[in-house]
Amino acid sequence: MRNPLADASIPVLDGLIEDDYVRMLVVSTTGVLGLLGVLGLLFPDSIAGDLSGIVFSSSTASSTARLAAPIVLAGLGGIFAEKSGVINIGLEGLLIISAFVSVYVASAVGIGNAVLGVPAIWIGFLGGIAASTLLSGVFGIVCIEFKADQIIAGLAVWLIALGLAPFMSTVFFGGVNTPNLGARIGWRYSAVMVVVATLASWWALNRTAFGKHLRAAGENPKALDTVGVSVSRVRHAGVLLSGVFSGIGGSALALSIGQFVGSGDTMVQGKGFIAIVAYLFGNYNPLGTLGAGVLFAGLDATQIRLQQLGYAVPDTLVQTIPYVVVIVVLALVGRTRLPEAAGEHYETED
Amino acid sequence: MSGTDSDGLPSLARRVVAPFVDRTVAERLAISVAAILLSIVVGFAIVLVSGRIAECSTAAWTMPVTGLGFCYDPFEVYVVLFNGALGYPFAAGEPGLFNAGWTPFNLSLGLTLSETTLLIFTGLSVAVAFRAGLFNIGTQGQLVVGGLATALTVLAAAPLLPAGPVAGLALIVLGILAGAVGGGFWGAIPGALKAYTDANEVITTIMLNFIAANVAYVLVLEVFRAEGSSVVATEYVPEYAQFLPWVFPQSSDFAVVALVFGIAFIGALYYLVEHTSFGYDLRTSGVQAAAAEYGGVNAKATTVRAMTLSGAIGGVGGAVWVLMSEGRWMASVPALGFDGITVSILAGNNPLGVLPAAFLFGLLKGGALEIGFRTDVPPELVGVLRGLIILFVAMPEFFRMIGRYAGVGSRGPGGPKTGGSKSDDADPADDTAATDGGAADA
Repeated sequence: MRNPLADASIPVLDGLIEDDYVRMLVVSTTGVLGLLGVLGLLFPDSIAGDLSGIVFSSSTASSTARLAAPIVLAGLGGIFAEKSGVINIGLEGLLIISAFVSVYVASAVGIGNAVLGVPAIWIGFLGGIAASTLLSGVFGIVCIEFKADQIIAGLAVWLIALGLAPFMSTVFFGGVNTPNLGARIGWRYSAVMVVVATLASWWALNRTAFGKHLRAAGENPKALDTVGVSVSRVRHAGVLLSGVFSGIGGSALALSIGQFVGSGDTMVQGKGFIAIVAYLFGNYNPLGTLGAGVLFAGLDATQIRLQQLGYAVPDTLVQTIPYVVVIVVLALVGRTRLPEAAGEHYETED
Repeated sequence: MSGTDSDGLPSLARRVVAPFVDRTVAERLAISVAAILLSIVVGFAIVLVSGRIAECSTAAWTMPVTGLGFCYDPFEVYVVLFNGALGYPFAAGEPGLFNAGWTPFNLSLGLTLSETTLLIFTGLSVAVAFRAGLFNIGTQGQLVVGGLATALTVLAAAPLLPAGPVAGLALIVLGILAGAVGGGFWGAIPGALKAYTDANEVITTIMLNFIAANVAYVLVLEVFRAEGSSVVATEYVPEYAQFLPWVFPQSSDFAVVALVFGIAFIGALYYLVEHTSFGYDLRTSGVQAAAAEYGGVNAKATTVRAMTLSGAIGGVGGAVWVLMSEGRWMASVPALGFDGITVSILAGNNPLGVLPAAFLFGLLKGGALEIGFRTDVPPELVGVLRGLIILFVAMPEFFRMIGRYAGVGSRGPGGPKTGGSKSDDADPADDTAATDGGAADA
C-alpha cells in the first residue's frame, strides 16, 4: 500500500545523514506525510481522506517512481559533475538524447528479439546510457580541454539534443514522435534503480578515495594536483558519471512508456532542470536529492490523481511549486553553496 | 585526453598562451565566423549520414566517385536554407545569377526579418546583463511577463480612447512601456536576489522562466481568455494599435517600423553601455566586482539595475511580439528568450554585434520553414545547427589551438585579464571587457 519511495523509510539511514539540513528536510517531509495519514484515517470523508488515499495508493507510487526516476538520476549525475568542479546545466539534453536513443535501439533490435540473451528493451536501455555518456564526454572535452564556458556549453548540449532527437526521430520514424514499442519497463525497475543509484552515489561520494578526489577537484584542485592526482582526469570522470546517471534516467523515462515524444520541449519537459533544483534543494547530498526528487514527482503524481477524482486543481500551478520552493530556499536559507572551484578551469602547475 | 596533463607539453603551451587569451575584436569576429562555418560542416555531415540511413525510393544526391546514393542532398539543404530565407534572390540551377522576379518585399524575407526584429530585443537583453557579469537566462520569462503586461494594458486602455491613428500611437507607446515595466519587474527579482542574498542568477532565472510561463498561462486561462477562443489567448488588441506590415505581405507579420525601432534601441544601448557613467559602472562590476566596489561603484545597486534593464528590454521584446507578430498574447510563446542567449553569445555580448547575429538566427528560422516546404530533410536540422554554433562559439580555445597548429597563432597584446584563464559564470563578460566596441558579427 505505502509508497515505497516515500521519505518515511529514510530515517532508518539516519546515521548516514551527516547533514543537518538534509535531516531537517527528511524529518519535515515525514512529518507532513504522517500528519496526512493520521488526518486521513480520522476523517476519511474529507479532502484529507481523499488526499491520503491518493498519496498512499499504489498507483500514485508507481507514477511517482516513473516521474521521479529521470529527476533523481539526472540530479545524482549533476552532483558528480558539479562536485568535481564542472557545472553541468545540460542534464536536460542528456535526458532527451538517452530517451530517444533507448527507444530507437530497442526498436532497431526489435521487440521480442534478444542479443546474447538480453531482451531488446534492455539493449535499448544500454544504448540510451551509451548515447548520454558519449554526449557528456563531448561536453567534458569541450569544458575541460577547450576551456569552454561551462554554462554556455551546457546550454549548447541541451539545444543540440533538443534539435537532434526530433531530427533523428523524423529520419528514422517519419515523425518527431516515435511509434510505441508495444513493450515497456515496469515502474518497479525504475524504483529499484533510483534507490540503488542513490545509495551507490552516497557511498561513492562519502566513503571512497574517488569521492574524496572528486570533492577536492571541485573545492581545492591545487591540493589535489599537489598530491599527484590529475584534476582533469577526475573532472572527466565526474562529467562522464553525470552522463551515465542521466542516461539511466532518460532511458527509464522513455522505456517506462515505450515511446519517445519529441514535440515541443520533448517528453523530458524540463525534468533536467528540475533535477538541478533537486540536487540544490538536497544540498548536493544524494539522499537529499532522492527526497527532493520524490517530493516533486509525488506532488505531480498526486495532482494528476486529484484531477482524476474531480478536484479542480490548477495543474499548472501545482507544477510551479518546485520552482517557487527553490527560489525561496535560495533566498532565505541560502544553503546551497557551489563548490569553491566550480565553473573554473584548472591549469596544471608542472 | 587525460594524457595531456602528464606529458606536460600541451598544458605548458596553454599556460604560455593563457595571459594572451583576451580577445581582440578581430579575433572575436574570426571565432564567430569559424564557429558558424564549423557548424555548417558538421551539419553537412549529419545530413549526409542521416541521408544514408533514411529510406527513400530515389536518391536525392549521388556522391561523386563512390557512386553512393543519399536520400538528402546536403548542398540543396544549405542553398534552400539561405536562399529561401531571403525569398530566392539567387537563381539556383537556372541561367543567370539573380532571379529576375525577386523583390525584397517577399513573404520569406518578411518572416526572416520579423524573427530578426524580435531577436534584436532578446539578444540585447541578454547582452546587457552579460556586460554586468550576470547570466540572464530569464529573458524568456521577462518576455512572457512583458508581453502579457502589454496585451492587458492596451486592451484595458483601448476603450478609453477614440479609435484612430493618434490613439494607436499612444496605445503602442503605452503598451511598450507596460512591457518594459512588466519585464523589468520580472528581471529585478533575480537581480535583487543576487545582490542581497547571493542567490545564483542562473538558477533563479531558469526557475522564474517556468514560473512566468505557468502563472501567465493560468492567469489567461482563468481570467483573461478571449471568449470562444480555442487556444489560451487574450483578445486581439485593436488593429490600429498594432505594428502593421505596410510594405511586406500581411502574413509575414513584419513591420519595418519595428525593425527601425529595434535598430535605434541597439544604438541607444551601445551609447548607454560604452559612453555613460552607468555603463561604466556596469562594465567594471562585470569585469572586477571587487575593484569596482573599491572605485566607488555600488555593486549591489548596479546588479539590480542591470537585471532590471535587461528584463525591461526583454519585456519590450514581448511587447513587440504581441503588437507585431500575434496581435494578442497567447500561451504558446516561442523560445525567443532562449534564442536571445545564442544571439548575444554569437555577438560577443556587444550591442552592435547583436544586429548581424540576430539576422543570422532570423535567416535560420526563415530557412527552416523553406527546408520543411522544399526538401525531405527534417527542419529540426536548424535546431541542431543552432546548438552547434553555440557550442563552438563557447570554445574559443579550440580555434586558437587549431590556429597555433596551423601556425597563425593569435598572440595579441596582453589585456586587463588577470589570473590565467580563470573563468566563472561571469566569464563571457570579461571577453568583451578588453574590446572597446566594434562589431563581432557573423
